[in-house]
Amino acid sequence: MPIRDRVARLLAELPDAPQYPTQGATAFIDLERREVRQAYTPVSVVRALLAGRGANMFYLYRLLDESLAPLDPGVPLIFGSGVLTGIVPSAARGNATSWSPESGVLMDCNAGDYFPSFTKMNGYDHLVLYGRAPRWTLLHVKDGRIAFRDAAPYVGLDNLDLRERIEADFGGAWTRDLAMASITRAGERLVLTSAIMAGPKACYARGGPGAKMGALRLKAILVQGQTHDFETAQPYKGYNREIAQKLLATSVVKHALKTTGTPFLYKPSRLLGAMGTKNHQETTWTDALDASNIDPYRPGMAGCFRCPVNCRPLNDLHGDEADRYGRGDGPEYVTLGKFGPNVGIDRIESVIRLNNICNDLGLDTASTGSAIAWAMELFQRGIITARDTGGLELVWGDAALVERLIFMLSRREGFGDVLADGARAVEKGHYPPGALRYRMAVKGLMQSDPHDARILKAFALGLAVSTRGMDHLRNRVTLEINARINDDPAFKQRLYGGAVSAAPTSYEGKERAVRVCENVFGVGDAVGMCRFTTQLFNSPSLPGLDQFAAQIANVTGLAFEPAALDRVGLNIMGVERLINRRLGVGRQDDTLPERWFEEPITVGAYAGEKIDRAEFDAMLSRFYALSSLTEEGVPQDAWRRELEAALEGRA
Amino acid sequence: MLTVHLPASLQRDAGAASLAVTEPVGTIAELVEVLERRVPGFRSLFDDALLNFAVNDELVLHRVRDRPLADGDVVELIPTISGG
Ligand code: SF4
Repeated sequence: MPIRDRVARLLAELPDAPQYPTQGATAFIDLERREVRQAYTPVSVVRALLAGRGANMFYLYRLLDESLAPLDPGVPLIFGSGVLTGIVPSAARGNATSWSPESGVLMDCNAGDYFPSFTKMNGYDHLVLYGRAPRWTLLHVKDGRIAFRDAAPYVGLDNLDLRERIEADFGGAWTRDLAMASITRAGERLVLTSAIMAGPKACYARGGPGAKMGALRLKAILVQGQTHDFETAQPYKGYNREIAQKLLATSVVKHALKTTGTPFLYKPSRLLGAMGTKNHQETTWTDALDASNIDPYRPGMAGCFRCPVNCRPLNDLHGDEADRYGRGDGPEYVTLGKFGPNVGIDRIESVIRLNNICNDLGLDTASTGSAIAWAMELFQRGIITARDTGGLELVWGDAALVERLIFMLSRREGFGDVLADGARAVEKGHYPPGALRYRMAVKGLMQSDPHDARILKAFALGLAVSTRGMDHLRNRVTLEINARINDDPAFKQRLYGGAVSAAPTSYEGKERAVRVCENVFGVGDAVGMCRFTTQLFNSPSLPGLDQFAAQIANVTGLAFEPAALDRVGLNIMGVERLINRRLGVGRQDDTLPERWFEEPITVGAYAGEKIDRAEFDAMLSRFYALSSLTEEGVPQDAWRRELEAALEGRA
Repeated sequence: MLTVHLPASLQRDAGAASLAVTEPVGTIAELVEVLERRVPGFRSLFDDALLNFAVNDELVLHRVRDRPLADGDVVELIPTISGG
């Protein structure tokens, strides 16, 4: 059934008025015909999935035609803000969802900065985009209205220039009354590792969202308008203050996030011998990239809308004023790892510069860095040669080469065209099938973070079962790296609702911890809370289901027990697995790169560690059972029927 | 003697980035007692923070209190977070 018929059928079922205070509309935007229709998410769906990532899955489930291809304009790109986005401190986030052109499975990306909050302030919770615009288009959202504008003057601009031009042309100021989700030349050229930029650095990344937006010929969504308070069901600001205090009192916020940001994690991973190096052939790297080495280049910190944490390090290399890449936003730990050890670079200044370039070119640093590292290992092994790379010698640690490759990738020039196909390079015929053995990907998505998970088995399980592919932000049991929690079995048992082995290398009980994290993080995404400030990701004492439930009640009037929210988290994962099932994903895809099963870690206290296939398989089965999934990894019959009823309006 | 490297948040209270510990200390549990006496603010940070110990550049992930220490060891206190 064509997308317009699917939308029409869905619209016929949806309410045409808000179902609770603060609910924003869902705009169905036909880019080809330049038409907008709107409706609201039914309460039954909100009860099952909330908004943000949750209701995005409802819309994708209903509108997806899996007989098409991911970049077909009949496959929608869906933006969603959370129930509490823009309303609660640190709830500045939203998701972008589709069928991934990079991985071939579910695409679901999360970003902060100001776009998700400003979209909600304009009265929209979700934007469902489909149809290929007849010419490059900019959507202008202002005072609750959506207008189609010609984007021709902006085509060919990357992030820095685009933001400058938009600010000059439309008036206003970023972070005050302007926010934007936009693509760069990489998105225009359908680079599969391209992101949708949501700020100078913030981006919707993982799975090629930039390419998806480019395929719709949509250059940007610009949101303008004054910030304002929401009419809520009950007073909520008093509890907001409690949440802000809770955030700021948490030691990890005080001592690390607020002062240094995420690069802090480089050192523990390095000392553990778990820092992915040279495409994970090695697992430790130089102390020259420890966060303390960034201190001289960090003039301050920035943050997202109404977030008191301000965790985003800015940078200034104190070089030539005219060098557009001499200053910027970041790097985060992921970028530090991907453009440091993973490609063999050991100078912090080089990593910072590459970070600034990627932000301008609109690239997902995880996928881009991984694609380059993969190519370097293939070159090292002679699987590809200078004949394949246009004469380039892909040598580890050559920062100038990496910079050149990034530009070539973003323009699909020469060997850059190969890199631009990311994890799909074998499928597209660029590399021989044997190259897959060295591809650090799960479900077609390159690993998000640099942490080598052969040691911490809970991390390994999380990467294997993540519905969008190999990504730590969906379910990472970060507290496994905390010795004091590991050494307090009673506390650990309370945290995860059952026994989880203290030993980081053990497989016992780790399925329980992943399950709990996946539920809490899913709910966090559906309310719009930042992962960094969601309970269990960085600390046990950050806001979690109790606080979300209380504030959802204040803001919307909808009562949820924390246990019901936990069920929402499970439901989100369940719907994502139903979608993935339609895309051909099964148990065989909940796995890990071959290297981790076959090659042990060779350094540090955990030398010798790798993933044992039988133990992993047993842990996966326990995870499925605990998650009400079949042995194939999809919701068991009774629950599947319940989910389908909610998704099809029969609940 | 042990050398103990402190996190930035404790360095002002301690008046130094590192401490030399000459008291007899056989385990991390015993080192914690020494640090409580010598560094104001250590207890509150230790109670609340996600502080890990690295001994001679090896991160200790469990059974931390019993981890033996020997003369000449270098111990580092590292707050641990995740990232994005
Ligand atoms: S914690 Fe950092 S990334 Fe998260 S919302 Fe706040 S400023 Fe943004």
